[in-house]
Parts: sequence; structure tokens; C-alpha cells
Amino acid sequence: MLQALLSGILVGGVYGLFSMGFSIAFGVMRIVNFAHGELVMIGMFAAFFAYSAAGVDPLVAIPLAFVVVAALSAVLYLLVYRRFVGRATLQQLLAAIAVALILQTSATLIFGPSAHAVRSNWGSQYLLIGPIFLSYAQLAAFAISVACVLTVEAVLRKTSWGKAIRAVADDPEAAQLVGLNSQVINITAFACSGALAGIAGAVLVSYYPVSPHVGFLLMPIALIATVLGGLGSIGGAFVGGIICGVIQQMTSVLWTSALQDVPLYGVLLLLLAFRPYGLFGRVSAH
Amino acid sequence: MTLLAVESLRVAYGDLTAVHDISFSVEPGEIFVLLGANGAGKTSVLRAISGLLKPTRGTLNSEGVSLLGLRPDQVAHLGIAHVPEGRRIFPNLTAEENLDVSFIRQRSKETLAQLRDRVYGIFPRLASRRRQTANTMSGGEQQMLAIGRALMNTPKLLMLDEPSLGLSPLMTELMFEQLARIRDQGASILLVEQNASCIDMATRGLLLANGHTMLSGDHAKLRDSDFVRRAYLGV
Ligand SMILES: Nc1ncnc2c1ncn2[C@@H]1O[C@H](COP(=O)(O)OP(=O)(O)O)[C@@H](O)[C@H]1O
Ligand SMILES: [Mg+2]
Repeated sequence: MLQALLSGILVGGVYGLFSMGFSIAFGVMRIVNFAHGELVMIGMFAAFFAYSAAGVDPLVAIPLAFVVVAALSAVLYLLVYRRFVGRATLQQLLAAIAVALILQTSATLIFGPSAHAVRSNWGSQYLLIGPIFLSYAQLAAFAISVACVLTVEAVLRKTSWGKAIRAVADDPEAAQLVGLNSQVINITAFACSGALAGIAGAVLVSYYPVSPHVGFLLMPIALIATVLGGLGSIGGAFVGGIICGVIQQMTSVLWTSALQDVPLYGVLLLLLAFRPYGLFGRVSAH
Repeated sequence: MTLLAVESLRVAYGDLTAVHDISFSVEPGEIFVLLGANGAGKTSVLRAISGLLKPTRGTLNSEGVSLLGLRPDQVAHLGIAHVPEGRRIFPNLTAEENLDVSFIRQRSKETLAQLRDRVYGIFPRLASRRRQTANTMSGGEQQMLAIGRALMNTPKLLMLDEPSLGLSPLMTELMFEQLARIRDQGASILLVEQNASCIDMATRGLLLANGHTMLSGDHAKLRDSDFVRRAYLGV
């Protein structure tokens, strides 16, 4: 039990990290980015590529994954998502799914359909505390995720860019009226959303194999974490991610790992039925 | 030079023409009021000026620069600030953050902190609420914040859409006094109201009904017009 709880929290940290990225795109632009899991996947491949081509540890390759996925996100924003800002419509969902499929197919063409794993020396070792064992890779992943999340929170609270992002999230029209250029804010926010997915990918690949389809496993977690944390609440998404990790681990210990996602979906349904604004729901402008 | 020149402005929503070819201008140092009942087209005029909607025809100029085709943030950078109907403060930001995001550095001779302090000087209530999340503030405080936020743009023209809405008569009077002070500090004001008590401080104004100009003129003409007296003052 305690074992499952602790590994759940560790795994959940990374979930929280990419969920936070998903939540930024939704909170600021009302974009439900169904390709967010694929952005994590690209981050995983970027770090895996650095590892297989140059022997670089995935955690050292974080800056690479960050830059690659942030740049890709900015391009995707300009090509596709820009048209759907403020409107989470069916067309927007379809466009995002199309982006997801294109990214999956591209990854398959480049890296092949099979899964690739990074085998680092330290990553496969465990820290033993009495009966509890925790993987060093997951501990490192959790620490990095928490550091990133705290950084993002601080940037959102303290910098003028962060405050502008929160203003646009609250009321895009009023934000324009006070002189904020919403195009600049949206593209940087979307790049930031992708950057978090990229970092999460590099962190994740240090203990989890990457395949072109891994995005479809991760995407539902981002969605559930965001709803758990309260739609549009960026810090809440991180907590939501941790809850997802714990639920998953608990299920695989107490029940079976084959069905570890089933209770997760149950939670999503319950939430949508009873607390549509999430556990940490917040006010909207209208 | 004319701060704002509106010529034959027409605004339509599909088949519905909300504003029919109205013209007026605002000169430096003025408090110009745009009066009219609900649905008269007042908000549409302001939204057209600040670039939130595209007029069907007409011209909009500020000191010889055309506003047509500009984005709202570009209009704000020209020094035309718009306090929208219903205040529209950023609810999850603190009072101070609401002010900070509205600071336009290029327009201000003062630093952010200096300008903020000037706004707190005009609205001392805001100073004591600076760390408070905006949605927990009272209606009157939120209206002050909305005006304070617009002042962070260092505007030459301040446009307000029914700032008295939801305020008590006393609060309204206080707010109008503060607008007069803001004018004295150098900004001109374009005030949209249903509340005719604002005529007292107006230099000139225009009365709108169903998108048409019913009357336009200086303070005395507005005050003495039968139409305004009957429709608004209940005399
Ligand atoms: N977004 C809109 N779509 C369609 N009609 C609108 C819209 N906004 C305003 N109108 C109509 O335009 C007219 C003028 O509205 P408005 O400018 O809001 O008037 P006021 O601010 O004087 O109350 C009204 O008849 C209103 O119903
Ligand atoms: Mg109105």
C-alpha cells in the first residue's frame, strides 16, 4: 500500500508536469489539445535520440527536448491552433486529433513502430528504505518535475509575462483592451505548454520506453488531471497528475496492472457529474 | 488637435443596424457624454472605436491617425483606454496585478511603481486592497479598479461604458467626482451613460436613441433640452 502510494506520487509528478502544459493551453486559449500526448512522445524521442546517437543521458537532454517541442508547438500554433483560440469546438478537437495522427505517423516513419528503452546504469537501480523500494529514475523524475512546476508557478505569479498570461486566461477581450497583444501571448503560452510536455518526455523516457503510440496512453491522464485540478487551474493540474499516478499504482497493486486506467476513467465520470469545475475550481470572468 | 473624430459611423450586426451614421468629436480637456437608453447603440460605438468590432462604414481618427483596422491593443497603445461595460476586471488576479498588466511602458514617463502610486492616490481604497483577489472586492471597488487599470495605460482619452451601473447614488457621485479629477490631471473623457446626472459635469454630449442621434450640443443645450428633461430627469 505505502509502496503503491509512494511510487504513485513519484510517477504522478511527471503526469502533473505534462498535465500542467495541457492545462495552460486550455486555460489561456480554451484549446483542448488532443495532440498533447504526442508532444510528450516527441520529447521522449528527442531525448532517446540524444541517448542512442551520442550516449547522452535523457536527463541531460532535457534542454534539447524543451527546445524541440517548444519550437514544434509554436509552429503548430501558427499553422493550426491559431484558428481555434477561444473556441473548444468539434472542429478544434478534430484538428488536434489530426495533428496527433500526423505526429504519430511521422515518428513511426523515422523511428519505426516498436518501443525503445533507455538503459542507463543508475536509472535501473533502486533505493531501499525498509520494505519500500523506489527507483532512482523515478525519484529524479519527480524532483525535476516538482522543480519545473515550482518554476512555472513562480513565473506565472511574478513576471509580467506570467501575469499577462493569467490575465488572458481570465478575460481575453479585456486583456486586449488594456493593451496586451494576445497573439504574442498565445504563441508563447502555447510554446510553453509544449515545452512542459517536452521536459516531461525527456524525464519519462529515462524509465519508460518510448513508442510512437505512447501519446494516446498519456493524453487521457492529462485530461483527467486537468479536470481533477479544475479546468483552467494550472497549479491544480499538477496535483491532479499526482492523484492520477496514485490511483494508477493503487489499482495495479490492489487489482491488476492491466486495468490500471479503468478507475481513472471512473473518477473522470464522477467528477464531470458532480464537480464539473474540479476539486480546486475557480471563478470564470463571466 | 482633435483627440477623437467619429464621422458617419455605422455599426451593424448582420441585418440589424445598431448605429446609424453618427458623428461627433472629442477635444482635449473635454468630458463628452454619450447618453441613451438600453439598446440605443452606445456600447457598439465604443467597441467600434477600440477595435473590438469592425464598423460597416465611417471613419475614426485620433489626432490625424486612423483607428480603422487597428487591433484593440494597438488602440490602447495610442492612448485610448476603454473601461468596458460590466467592468471586466481580471477576477483571479489581485488588484495590484490588474494594474500591473495594464501598464504600457512606452506611453509612460513614470515607472510602474510611480504610476501605480498615482492610481492609489486617486483611489485610496485600492491601495488597501492591493493584495486582494479582484473577484472578492465590492462592486464599487471593482469599478475603481477598472478605471485605475485604464489609467495604467496613461491614456489621453478615457472611454467608460456605464461606470455607474450597479453603484449606489452616493458611490456614483463619488465616482463622477473622481472622473472630474482625472480630467483635471490631463486626460479627456468619453463617458457613456444612461444616468443623466452625468450631464452636470459634461462639456458636450450626444443623445442616442435606436442608433440615431437625437440631440447633440454643449452642456447648456443638453441640460435645457426638453427631451432629456422628460426622458431622464423626470421633470
Ligand atoms: N453581438 C451582438 N449581436 C447582435 N446584436 C447586438 C450585439 N450587440 C448589440 N446588439 C444589438 O445592437 C443594439 C445596440 O446595442 P448596444 O450597443 O449594446 O446598446 P447600448 O450599449 O446602448 O445598450 C441593440 O439592439 C442590441 O440588441
Ligand atoms: Mg451598453
